[in-house]
Amino acid sequence: MRSPAIKQTNTHSFSKTLAKDWDRNKWKYILMVPVIVYLILFCYKPMYGLIMAFQNFKISRGISGSAWADPWYKWFENFITDPYFPRIIKNTFTLSGLTILFSFPAPIILALLINEVKNKVFKRSVQTITYMPYFISMVVLCGMINVYCKQDGLFSQIAVALGGTAQNYLASPDYFRTIYVLSDIWQKIGWDSIIYLAAISAIDQEQYEAARVDGANRFQQMLRITLPGLVPIIMILLILRLGGILNVGYEKVLLLYNPSTYDVADVISTYTYRLSFPTSGTPMYSKSTAIGLFNTLVNVVFLVTTNAISKRTTQSSVF
Amino acid sequence: MLKKNLKLNILDKTIMLLGGSMKQKLLKAMSVLAVGAVLLASCGTQKVTDVPDDVSAPKSSSASGTGKESTVKPGDISYPLDSDKTVSWYIQDAPQPHEKFADASESPFHVKLAQNLGVDIEWMFPTTGSDGNMFTTTLMADPDSLPDIMTVYFMDKANQYLEDDIIWDLTDYIQEYAPDYYAWLQTNPAYDSAMKTDNGQYYCFGFFREDGGWNDTYLGPVVRKDWLEECELEIPTTISEFEHVIKVFNERYGATFNSAFGRYNAMGICGAFGAYGNAVAGNGWYIKDGKVRFGQAQPEWREYMSWQNKLWNAGLIDRDILTEDDTTIKNKIHNDKCGIAVTSMGQMTNWNQERVADGKEEVWIGIPYPKSDDGEISCVFGGFGIGTQTTVITKAADEETVKLCMQMLNYSYTKEGSLYWNYGTEGETWEFDDKGVPAFTSLVTDDPDTNPMTKYNGTTWNGPAIQATNLLYLKNSKAACDANDTWFYVWPDDEEKNMAVTGGWKWPVGVTFTIEEADELDEISQNIPIYVSESYAAFLTGSKDINDDAVWNKYLEDLETYNLSRVTEIRQACYDRYKNR
Repeated sequence: MRSPAIKQTNTHSFSKTLAKDWDRNKWKYILMVPVIVYLILFCYKPMYGLIMAFQNFKISRGISGSAWADPWYKWFENFITDPYFPRIIKNTFTLSGLTILFSFPAPIILALLINEVKNKVFKRSVQTITYMPYFISMVVLCGMINVYCKQDGLFSQIAVALGGTAQNYLASPDYFRTIYVLSDIWQKIGWDSIIYLAAISAIDQEQYEAARVDGANRFQQMLRITLPGLVPIIMILLILRLGGILNVGYEKVLLLYNPSTYDVADVISTYTYRLSFPTSGTPMYSKSTAIGLFNTLVNVVFLVTTNAISKRTTQSSVF
Repeated sequence: MLKKNLKLNILDKTIMLLGGSMKQKLLKAMSVLAVGAVLLASCGTQKVTDVPDDVSAPKSSSASGTGKESTVKPGDISYPLDSDKTVSWYIQDAPQPHEKFADASESPFHVKLAQNLGVDIEWMFPTTGSDGNMFTTTLMADPDSLPDIMTVYFMDKANQYLEDDIIWDLTDYIQEYAPDYYAWLQTNPAYDSAMKTDNGQYYCFGFFREDGGWNDTYLGPVVRKDWLEECELEIPTTISEFEHVIKVFNERYGATFNSAFGRYNAMGICGAFGAYGNAVAGNGWYIKDGKVRFGQAQPEWREYMSWQNKLWNAGLIDRDILTEDDTTIKNKIHNDKCGIAVTSMGQMTNWNQERVADGKEEVWIGIPYPKSDDGEISCVFGGFGIGTQTTVITKAADEETVKLCMQMLNYSYTKEGSLYWNYGTEGETWEFDDKGVPAFTSLVTDDPDTNPMTKYNGTTWNGPAIQATNLLYLKNSKAACDANDTWFYVWPDDEEKNMAVTGGWKWPVGVTFTIEEADELDEISQNIPIYVSESYAAFLTGSKDINDDAVWNKYLEDLETYNLSRVTEIRQACYDRYKNR
């Protein structure tokens, strides 16, 4: 038990510190205001809408007027017992997993390679060319993929030239994942490598000198100095990436899939999208909100788990 | 594709961190816009609060408030109405200002309409680039500040909106304040029953085609007539002949059967197999002998699928068909990779015109929907000449405003108003030709913009009015109108039989589900469309063998787990009530 007197001095000193702090940093605080307002308005206030997940929401009646779902987990149950549930969960994890497996390491490798290039002109051109696709809008990019994958498109022509047969690759469930992951790598490899290149340039040059004196060749330097120097940033990005494991880029799937590839391409977010904006019929706000909430919970679990593992093994963590 | 993209643009920024929060965010952002617009509108109405209602002047002789025993006759309302009120009017799709105009104040149709009506109109449309359906939904999120008139698609939900007091029940007013509209509805029992609920409540002004369904069959098979001649083939009339043409074109030119999937997936040429519907579940609901059935669960559909699969395996159906749209298919149309297809009269006109622009001759002509080898056909793409668009009056309007709104909407069903809605202003945009038929003046015919008549008229696509058949003749090429004739007149000598094939089998327009039914359907019927469209793809490409009984039975079983029986039952009950109206 602490005496009230001490408590009082504490508050006193706190307000004093606060005043002092305000005096010193007031402009920083004022600069923060817009961001805080933004977060409240666009990130916290909309959470009110999550109530819909527990209602039989009707747009004409609004959140305050709609009846509560009975039982409260009705829409969660509806989602989990949906015949499509296993398929979309499987697809979401597969696509997400494949992306993490292949397109997460790709920019790291590219950064390491670029770092070894000595010719300035060549280095700059490679960087520019690899990060250019990032600036193509998703709609245009998918339009290009669509054209290339057609029966008489680029890929078919290459296949024919090599002795294969022409086909529409996007209409075949066998190729969807490959197309999805490869185009993802192509689009993002250059852009994502920038952060690693920045991290590499921050590595102390004396370490390389010391290694050279010890007789390490360039490959050994890369493996023993550059890569370990990158581990903290790699871990942080990986944790963030795993925190979004269920957030498969729905725009891309939506633009690339068609009825013949639903089986491998339909993911949680496209399913939610179809429920919320159906071509006919009523939008199912309650169910899609419930799925959104479910999605977020799974993401949080992944984020926290990876963070904990990373903290224990590599000492780097987001929080 | 385009529609999909537009939706994406809006959603671009809102990453799916929280499914719920995203939509809420959008709702907020957009309802701010909506509220703004409505505020503007209500500012306009402020000034008239002290003006007594003078809109009913022409028919003040009618004492009846209920309108049940109205003495107002068609033509009794005289325009302009000379009201001081400002009415806000939201239109989800057509008629909107032509793409060349920034807003309604530049659009001759909208400006002149307000003048002809004698009422100030505050127009409102979905923001450019947004999806109309979504915009309407967003508006509805704030039921307290809706526009007075809304031109939207409410038929399925009419009961809900009436019960929630969002739209006006027009029954008590319709005869007195919209006599011409009421008279029009009485000309055809189908029109009347489509425009009311099962309880007989009128709630909307609808869109009708003067031709009674002719142009609802705007889609059908087309062929290159020069190839037909080169190969010394007749125009195919049966499915075997149709298949033969595809084969010959394939052997001789390496061409395949192809279509924009969005045009082919509704029906295709299912009629030749006695089937109903193709890849779209929504089109599969049909009526036979008073019973509601689901086309994609019938043995005839299986036969049709089996035939499509056979052609696919033989390389006669283009492998890109599932992803083809109106833009991508042009590459094949203009590079001689397709000689027979299913498309709309508008697209066919484009194909021909683009050939002419390239210095080639027009070759595309419409051919009849193929019949079975016994000469039978179950259905063609078509309708009854009744649109699904509904123009409703919301509770934002007080009783006096409702009466005014109804008189405004009545205008397009009068003789004079109908001419304005279809052609614009006489002497300016159109004149009677020597046969006494309206024809556009050079103001319209010399205008190089696309669909220039939409600058001056309101019925080119949709609208609370009666679309004149003559307008369609003026708008479309001769070849396209001939094609429409070919598709529509399946049995030219037997009107009744023809109607049965074009519209009679269809799930009727204007059917209203009860609130309970609508809620239940929302919950249980979502998976059928997805399952049907992906099964279609699997059956077509052969990744599931349609000819295998086990596969087919599994498909039927799966449909059952997606509540097919229950959905059919609900629809049957709903249809029965509709029949009894």
